[in-house]
Amino acid sequence: MIAPFRDILLLAATLFALGAFCAVVRRNLIMIVLGIEIMLNAAAIVFVGASLHLNNLDGQTFVLFILAVAATEVSVGLAIIVYAFRRTGSFDPRHFNLLR
Amino acid sequence: MNWMIAGPEIFYFAASLWFLLLTFTAQPKPAQNGGRRREYLTAIFLASLGILVCLASVHAQGWLFTRGFSVDFFSQVFKTLLSLGLFLIVCICGQINDIEDRRHNEFYFLLFTCTLALMLLVSADHLLSIYVSLELSSYSLYILVALRKKRGQGLEAGIKYFLIGSFASAVMLFGMALLYSSAGTAYLPEMAKVLPGMMASPAVVTGLLFTLGGFFFKLAVFPFHFWAPDTYQGASNQVAAYIATASKVAGIAIILRVVASAGQGSTYLVHVLVILSVVSMTLGNLAAMVQKDMKRLLAFSTVAHSGYVLIGILVLDAAGYSATIFYALALLAMKFTAFMVVVELTPDGRNLQIEELAGLHRRSPLMALALLVALFSLAGIPPTIGFTGKFLIFTAAIQKGYVALVIIAMVNVVISLYYYLLVIKAAYLLEPAEALPPLVVSFPKKLLAGLSIAVIVVAGFFPWWLIQIAQAAAQPLMLGR
Repeated sequence: MIAPFRDILLLAATLFALGAFCAVVRRNLIMIVLGIEIMLNAAAIVFVGASLHLNNLDGQTFVLFILAVAATEVSVGLAIIVYAFRRTGSFDPRHFNLLR
Repeated sequence: MNWMIAGPEIFYFAASLWFLLLTFTAQPKPAQNGGRRREYLTAIFLASLGILVCLASVHAQGWLFTRGFSVDFFSQVFKTLLSLGLFLIVCICGQINDIEDRRHNEFYFLLFTCTLALMLLVSADHLLSIYVSLELSSYSLYILVALRKKRGQGLEAGIKYFLIGSFASAVMLFGMALLYSSAGTAYLPEMAKVLPGMMASPAVVTGLLFTLGGFFFKLAVFPFHFWAPDTYQGASNQVAAYIATASKVAGIAIILRVVASAGQGSTYLVHVLVILSVVSMTLGNLAAMVQKDMKRLLAFSTVAHSGYVLIGILVLDAAGYSATIFYALALLAMKFTAFMVVVELTPDGRNLQIEELAGLHRRSPLMALALLVALFSLAGIPPTIGFTGKFLIFTAAIQKGYVALVIIAMVNVVISLYYYLLVIKAAYLLEPAEALPPLVVSFPKKLLAGLSIAVIVVAGFFPWWLIQIAQAAAQPLMLGR
C-alpha cells in the first residue's frame, strides 16, 4: 500500500469536518443532505483504508453497504424535501417553525 | 444453519410483506369504515401472533450470518418487549384519523418493518448489522412521522427528524470506521477482547463516543435530543407513542450491548456518560416544566428518563445491566399508558394541550386513573413499576460508589414531580370552563387501560419475577465478553 494509514485518516477527518460544517451552516435543505453524504463518504474512506491496512475484507463490505444505504437515505430524504418544497415553495429550513 | 432461531424476524418480515402487498392491491376507498376496520383487525391479529412467536422462541440460542446476528436470552427478552410494544401501539390505532385512509396499509407496513428492524438491532453483533438495522428502523420512522395529514406539522417534524437522524447516523458511521480501524475487527465479541487494552488511544475513545452518538439519537440523550419534542408534537399521536416506547426499548438494548462489550475498563467513557446523563435529566426536567402541549411534555420527560437509563448503563456491572433491562420494561408500560390516554382523549388526532385535561376525572374516571398511575410511575412514586426501576438503578449505582450522581438524580426526580403533578392537577382538580360531555370509551379500551394500570401497580408490588427475568437477560452480556 502506497499511502500510509495516518494520511488516509487525516483526509477522512478533513472530509468529515467539511461535511459536518456544510450540514450545520448551510441554509438549504439540499445542501444539508449533501453535507451529510460527504460525512458518509469520509467514513467510507476510513473503511477502505483500514481494510487495506488490516488485510481484512469486512471494511470493503461495509463500503458496499454504505453506498446502498446512502442511496436509500437520499431517496427518502429527497422525497420528504420535494414534498416540503411543494408545500412551502422554498428550501430554507427557517420556514419550518410551526412546532414550538 | 438453523433458521428457526430467527423466527420472530422471519414472522415480522412476512407480516410487513403482507401489508406491502395490500398497499399494491387495495383500491383507494373513500372514507368508509369497513376497509379501515379490516386493516386494523389484520394488524392486531398479526401483532398478537407476533407476541406468540417471540414467546415461543424466547429460549432460542445461536448465531446466523457468520455471527453477525446472535440470538441469546438478552435479545429474545427485548424482542418480546418489542413485539408487545407493537401490539399495544396497534391496539390504539383503531381510530387513526390524521393519516389518510388510503395510506393505512402503508402505515402498518412501515410499523411492522420498523419493528423488524428493531428486532434485528437487538440481535446485531457486528458493526455492519447494527448499522443496517438502525438505518432501516430510522427510515421507516422518518416516513411514518411525515405521513401525518395535518400538512405543516407532520412535514416539519419529518424534516427535522430526518436531518438530525441522518446527521447522527453519519457521525455513528465515522465512529464505527474508527473503531474498526483500531480494533481490526468489526465483531463486537472480538472487539471486547481487544479494546479494553487500547482505551488510552484517542482513536478508540473518539470512535466509541461517535458510535454511541448514533444510539444516543435513538434514545434522545442530550446532544442528540433536539428532534424529540418537535417530532413528538408533529407526528400523529400513535406514531409518537411508538417512538416513545418500542424505539426507546431497542435503543436501550443496543447501547447496553455495545457498552458491555466495548466499553469495559474505560474511565473516559464513564466520565462522558456521567456528564451526558446529568445534562440529559436536568435539561429534560427543566424544559418539561414550561410545556403546554402534552406530547412535548412527554418528549422532555423521555429525555430525562434516558438520563436515568444511562446511570444504569455506566455502572458497567451485572446489577446495573439488569436494572436497565427492568427499566426498559417499566418505560414501555408507563409511556404506553400515558400515550394511550392522549390518544383516547383526542379521537380527531389533534395535539392535546394540558389545559384540555380539565375535568377528566368526571368525564372518564378510568382514563384519569390511568393517567395518574402512569405519571406517578414516571415520577417514581412507590407502589409502581417506575419506582422499582429507579430504585434498582440507583442501588446499582450506589454500590459502585456513584453517590453524587445518584443525589443529582434524586434532585431531578423531585423536579420532575412538579410537572407531573401539574398535569395530574389539571386532570383531577381543575374544572373546564364549560361542561364537556363524558368521554365514551369502548370496552376493549377500558380493558386495555385496566390492564395497564394493573401491570404498573402489581409489578410495583411484586417485581421479583420480572427482576429475575432481567437478571437472566443480563447474563449473556457478562459471559464470554
